[in-house]
Amino acid sequence: MDHLLEVRDIHTFIGQFHILEGVSVSVPVGSITVLLGRNGAGKTTTLKSILGLTPPGRGQVLFEGQEIQGRSSFDIASLGIGYVPEHRAIFRDLSVEENLKIAERQKGDLARKADLIFSLFPDLKRLIKLPGTNLSGGQQQMLAVARALVADNKLLLIDEPSEGLAPVIIEQMITAIRTLSAETTVLLVEQNFVVAEALAEHYVIIEEGQAVKQGLMADLVQDQATIHRYLGAA
Amino acid sequence: MEAVGQTLRKNRTRLVTLAVLAFLFFTAIQGMETSDWTITLLRGLSVGAVTFLVAAGLSLIFGLMDVLNLAHGELFMIGAYAGWTVYVRPDTFVDLLTPVALVAVGLTLWPLWHALQAGRGRQPSRVWLWVALAGAVVLLWFGLTRYPTAIWDHEVYAESPITYSLALDQGLLNLPAPPDFEASPFLVLGALLLGGIGLAVALVGFSRRGQPAGGDTTISRTPLLAGALLLALGLAALIFNVPLTDWLLNMSSTLRFFVAMAVAAVVGVLLGAFIEVTMIRPLYARPMYQIMLTLGLSFIGIEAVRAVWGRPEFTFPKPALWDASGEGCPATGLGGWLENQCSTILLFDGRVRTYNEVFIIFVGLVVLIGIWLLLQRTRIGMIIRAGVQDSEMVEALGINVRQVFTLVFALGVGLAAMGGVLAAPSIGLSNDMGTRLLLLALIALAIGGLTSFPGAAAGAVLVGLVQQFIIKYGQLGINLPFLEEPFKPSPPLVPASVVLLMVIILLVLPQGLFGRSE
Repeated sequence: MDHLLEVRDIHTFIGQFHILEGVSVSVPVGSITVLLGRNGAGKTTTLKSILGLTPPGRGQVLFEGQEIQGRSSFDIASLGIGYVPEHRAIFRDLSVEENLKIAERQKGDLARKADLIFSLFPDLKRLIKLPGTNLSGGQQQMLAVARALVADNKLLLIDEPSEGLAPVIIEQMITAIRTLSAETTVLLVEQNFVVAEALAEHYVIIEEGQAVKQGLMADLVQDQATIHRYLGAA
Repeated sequence: MEAVGQTLRKNRTRLVTLAVLAFLFFTAIQGMETSDWTITLLRGLSVGAVTFLVAAGLSLIFGLMDVLNLAHGELFMIGAYAGWTVYVRPDTFVDLLTPVALVAVGLTLWPLWHALQAGRGRQPSRVWLWVALAGAVVLLWFGLTRYPTAIWDHEVYAESPITYSLALDQGLLNLPAPPDFEASPFLVLGALLLGGIGLAVALVGFSRRGQPAGGDTTISRTPLLAGALLLALGLAALIFNVPLTDWLLNMSSTLRFFVAMAVAAVVGVLLGAFIEVTMIRPLYARPMYQIMLTLGLSFIGIEAVRAVWGRPEFTFPKPALWDASGEGCPATGLGGWLENQCSTILLFDGRVRTYNEVFIIFVGLVVLIGIWLLLQRTRIGMIIRAGVQDSEMVEALGINVRQVFTLVFALGVGLAAMGGVLAAPSIGLSNDMGTRLLLLALIALAIGGLTSFPGAAAGAVLVGLVQQFIIKYGQLGINLPFLEEPFKPSPPLVPASVVLLMVIILLVLPQGLFGRSE
């Protein structure tokens, strides 16, 4: 099995809106795959559909060869999928430590992973007792990624990690994601083409709820016509 | 230092409001004798404590699952009536244990029916579910009406709750002889057991409709053990019916009161879990329907109580520990009270009632600290605090947030039901006790900030204090410079003043005292 995650032609409805009209994504083991596309194309909904937060009405989602669509989100996440949502949804009323602790699936998860987490994000160690609401935007994003690393996840779904961050923090984030991808497969949503290019090996372009093109990032970089057509001026 | 300054700036309006409230409080006590204002303060705290028991659950439930449970007040009332039953008519309570346990067996096996139906693959047709439900209702009706239960009759004065309450208060309680089975006991018990199972099977079937077929078919051992345990307990309650009743009747009334509080809390927890799982859960995506559902449940609650306990108000006799008025009373200190079990205690030459103004406040404090510890020190508490902000993200971490919803709903209702028993010896039992308290609790929540737990506590205390100080000033009168006569707030001004307080605070702080803007 060389694909950790396979999304096959999923259709997702939110209320009466047909948001995803056939998205297929294959994520090879150990790779970073990026979902590209304009605002509102359905990238975030694709991540949420994989996790069952907006369950797909049709189609299949296979994780390690096993169908997972239709199961509860907590059940799907427990299989080993970590989620870093957009807008850095950390828990503001919880301290940094509690934000990490809540992600434990087994007792002692945090203690086992502390070295990895604090080597990626040394700032968090200093802030450990602070309430989440006192963190800066960059620190919140680091915490959101760190939280997904606490449990033993095989796949990370990361939504717009660079959104609204200062360039210097973006650099740090790129380094961190690259480091953690050595052990974990990553499916990324990223609007910032520079960040996507720096990180991803594979890409999938989503346009109006459909996956329209996929391949190797190295090829896409050469293909100015595609970039221009689907992503606007890059 | 900088952090302190920042906090001050951020909370400027809040701090000014709190300062104004403190100033108002000190102005209000200026015109009073020490004994007057301490007693008024204690009374306010007492009303606040009872309000808090309702407001705490309401706030946690609203915060975590966005459900405004309008039936919360009626669950408070049902708790009070359930507690009264244990306290005044232990024989009825013991008689009810067996049928309730037998019906609950089927419901406890909920995961089993779920797994069995998932294992069948295809969903059963709707017709069969209705047949199962109708069959269950018939069986339950048969079982419950045939099961011998000693009960009062609210339509006959001599056998009404009013009479039994009075009799207990005067030490003349005389319980009727326990009835016997009229139908075959095995038939009745079997009907109850099967009825519960049929009910659970039908409910599981309905809850599975609209969801994808299939699902988890593994069964954990816990529900099976719980079901077996319940069955054993139900049968034990049947066999040891008489000794159990005698034991409850002969224990000290103080102890029996604590048993009544515990039973009411358990009844509340079970009722809460049942309501959440069967009725609220299918409606999480439809907030408007939830409001209508809980409103409807509150009316059903009132009518059910009227059908069983009747419309007239009656008293809840005070337990012995807070009832004596003979030698050594009023007590001069806590030691003297415990020794003589006085109903009042002297404080600054004023008489403070030991139940209303000491015990109720004490329980309120214990619950406040208990919930605070639960929220701050346990993993469940951490999940609740996180879920109040973003329950979807909590679920995405691999946490079964629905289970936490059920737990919080059950706990909240349990607290309200226990609060009902706590309040009953002080305010008596009436059909509208819940409605009145729900209104106070909602106002307390609005003042404190809808989803904030400290806000619920602060709001409840404020509501209690304002209410009691206005009542006190209704007796004393306020000297206003432009009036010849002292101004005496009339009784209708009491609820009005509480609402006015809410309006003013919401105008200044739209999120409430401790609420956070989203």
